[in-house]
Parts: sequence; structure tokens; C-alpha cells
Amino acid sequence: MDETALIHRAATGDALAWEPLVQAHQEAVFRLSYLLLGDPDDAEDVAQETFLRAWKYLKRFDSTRPLRPWLLSIASNLASNRRRSAGRYVAALMRAFRNEPAHANIEEKSTQQNDASELWQAVQNLSISDQQIVYLRYFLDLSVAETAETLQVAEGTVKSRLNRAIEKLRNIIKSDFPVLLEGREV
Amino acid sequence: MSDMELENRLHSIASRMEYPRTPDIAGSVTTHLQRSTQRRLISKPLAWSLTIVFVLLSSLMLIPPARAAIIEFIQVGVVQIFRGQPTLTPIPGTPVSTISVTATPIPDSDLLPILNKIAGKTTLASAQKAVQYSILLPAYPPELGEPDLVYVQDAEGIMTILVWLDPQQPDKILLSLHFIPEGSWAINKMNPEIIQETSVNERKAVWAVGPYPLKLYGSSGGLEFTRLIDGHVLIWADGDITFRLETDQSLEEAIKIAESLEPMP
Repeated sequence: MDETALIHRAATGDALAWEPLVQAHQEAVFRLSYLLLGDPDDAEDVAQETFLRAWKYLKRFDSTRPLRPWLLSIASNLASNRRRSAGRYVAALMRAFRNEPAHANIEEKSTQQNDASELWQAVQNLSISDQQIVYLRYFLDLSVAETAETLQVAEGTVKSRLNRAIEKLRNIIKSDFPVLLEGREV
Repeated sequence: MSDMELENRLHSIASRMEYPRTPDIAGSVTTHLQRSTQRRLISKPLAWSLTIVFVLLSSLMLIPPARAAIIEFIQVGVVQIFRGQPTLTPIPGTPVSTISVTATPIPDSDLLPILNKIAGKTTLASAQKAVQYSILLPAYPPELGEPDLVYVQDAEGIMTILVWLDPQQPDKILLSLHFIPEGSWAINKMNPEIIQETSVNERKAVWAVGPYPLKLYGSSGGLEFTRLIDGHVLIWADGDITFRLETDQSLEEAIKIAESLEPMP
């Protein structure tokens, strides 16, 4: 059954029709939440809340539009609200930092994974709106059109905001993470 | 490195990001939805009971003396509004404060410092522990999320105030919601001008403007009155709690928000 048919069934209250849709999009929603919050438990909470809220307002959703950008939009707003409590965000990042050696020794990580972690750290120096656009476009690999749909802005706006974010990111990388520009892993 | 090369490089590096394993969100969401459905089915007998009470009350309306008593005033929580009068009238027998208060809209640039002065700042979890009633959060609009600021104030009845800031302009307040328990003096300090009678979840409500009772630190008389948003207030009651929702949005939006209130997860 295609996505539109499942959305129609779920909108009438069929929870079993909603389950495959959650399965199809849970990874993207969880990953975006994790990138924005830095803590897997918080990311799981936000992802779950995203799907519950989407379920509640599914009748109002225009099923001719793709579902994923709408879900990512809800997740992004929920995660942003949650991390505005600065103490909580810093605590989560510190927890993630403390847990790092338990999950994987940095020495044992591949160079590519180290680069990805360093890039994530670099992106965290950007404003929240710049982070959102970088995560959507590069980490989740959304097209410009999908990114525009998620952020509810025009495609041209995505391109201009992306250009500005990349310019800021280039400066951060140059000063704090120069190895990312030196081609260590390519 | 050109912009294009940098973009390609960012794509390449980001694609190797290592994420925690995605949990079984589909399973937990489905379980949650199925439990909610069961709860709704269980509550059907209660709905029937309420329907019977409604029918009995409707019958009473047919008896002239009872009808006169019922329609004489509209009551919203502990506030009575007499028909034909433009302002709220205190409940007979309840002590009425003679303090004269005037609402003063605050310049946007001063909002955050003032928020810092409001007494009783706390967290949502601590607030819930401090009060006897359930703190409800709006599920609409879906992206609203939890409040940015939470206050608990003792007003002979522990009052809770939730404040949401505008995510696009964090120096502005988007919405605030008061939970005022029965018996609180805060109600008697309000003297709003009624704009419109309306309903929230089929309960009587009013759309009004008027002063906002907030306890601030360091005020000379112990209390100062101010409004957080230069807009309207929706007032309604549910059980022993009177709610005040302050927003600069339309009445329709305010009602949607009010009707979406649900217990914290």
C-alpha cells in the first residue's frame, strides 16, 4: 500500500496504518533530533512525540504533500524548543562527551568517523537555524526542495541561507578544525 | 577550496556520521495509541452519565423559577458575569479587593528583564510537584512544545503560569497560560472588559482584555500588575481550575489552543 493510502487510513483513526509510516520515517526523525539535541534519550523522546503529534493532526495534513518534510519540521521545532533550555542542552552534550569512550574509543574509530564527529562539533557552533539547514541538507541528505518543504520557506531562501551557513562553517573549520579541509580522509 | 568543493566535502563527511541505533519508535507509538483508544472506550459510561445530567439540567430550564436563576448570570470558574453588563462582577459574599489596577503593556525591549523579576520561577516538573492539579500543555500548534518559562505563585491557592517565547523572536512572548485554583485572590484582582462570550470544549468562556496579576520581586507594595502580551485573554474553567490564556492571536486560534490542552506526558 502506498504512503498516501496509509495516510488516509491513519487519518480515520487506524493506528495499524500509522505504524508502517512511523517505521519508514523514524530513522530520519530520530537522527535529526539526535543531531539537534546531542543525546539519544532526548532524541527518542522527541521522535516519539513527533509521531504522536503528527497522528493527532493528520486530518489537517495535505496528503498530496510528502510526509517526511512535515515530520522533520515537527521534530525540528520540538527539538529546538527542548534545547532552548540551555542547561539541559549543555548537560546532554556533557553526557554525550562522557559516554563517548564507553561507546567507541576515539583511537579505534575510523578516520572518516572522526571527521564526521568533528564536522558535527563544528556545526554546533552555528546558530540553531543554520544548524537545522546544514543537518537537513548534508547529514540527512535532503534535496533543496525537501529542505524548503521542511523549513516552510522558498527554495531560493534555502539556497541563500545555505550559502551563508556554509561561509560561517568554512571559517569555523579553518580556525578550529583545519584537518577537515586538508583532505585527511579523501 | 571552492564553495562547490566544500559542499561536496561536507556531503561526503556527513554521510559517514555515526548515529546511535534508532530505537523502536514505531512500536512505542503504536502501543501508546492503542492504550489511548482503550482509555477512550472506558470513558464512554462517564460520557453517558454527563449526558443524563445535562438532560436533567435542560429539564430544569423549563421550570420558570429555575430558568430565571440559571440564566441570570453566566459563571466562568469563580468569576460571575451578569448578562447585560460589560464587566465581570465578583461573586456575592466573596471579599472584594478595592485595589485599583491598570494594565500597562510593556515595551518589547523590556520583556525579558521583567520575566526575570517575576516571582516563583521554577521548572515544569517542580511545578507539577508543587500543585494539586494536573498541569496541562497545549498540543496545538503541534510545534509549540513545552513552555520556556514556568512560575508558581502562592495566591491563596497555588497558581501556575506557563510562558512560551516566540522562537523566531526569542525576546517576545508568544503565549502565556495561567492555572488559577478555586479560592485564589488572583481572580478578585481581575476586572477585565468582556469582548465576547464564547465556549471552550462546550464550557462557557469569555474573550476579554484586562490586567494581569503577577507577583514581582522587589515591588514596593508587594504586588505589581502588568500584562505580558498586548492582546486578548481567553478565560474559562474546568472543575476547580480557572484558566487564562493570553495571546495576541485571534479568538479562533486561542480556542484551538485551549481545546488542545492535555496532561503532560
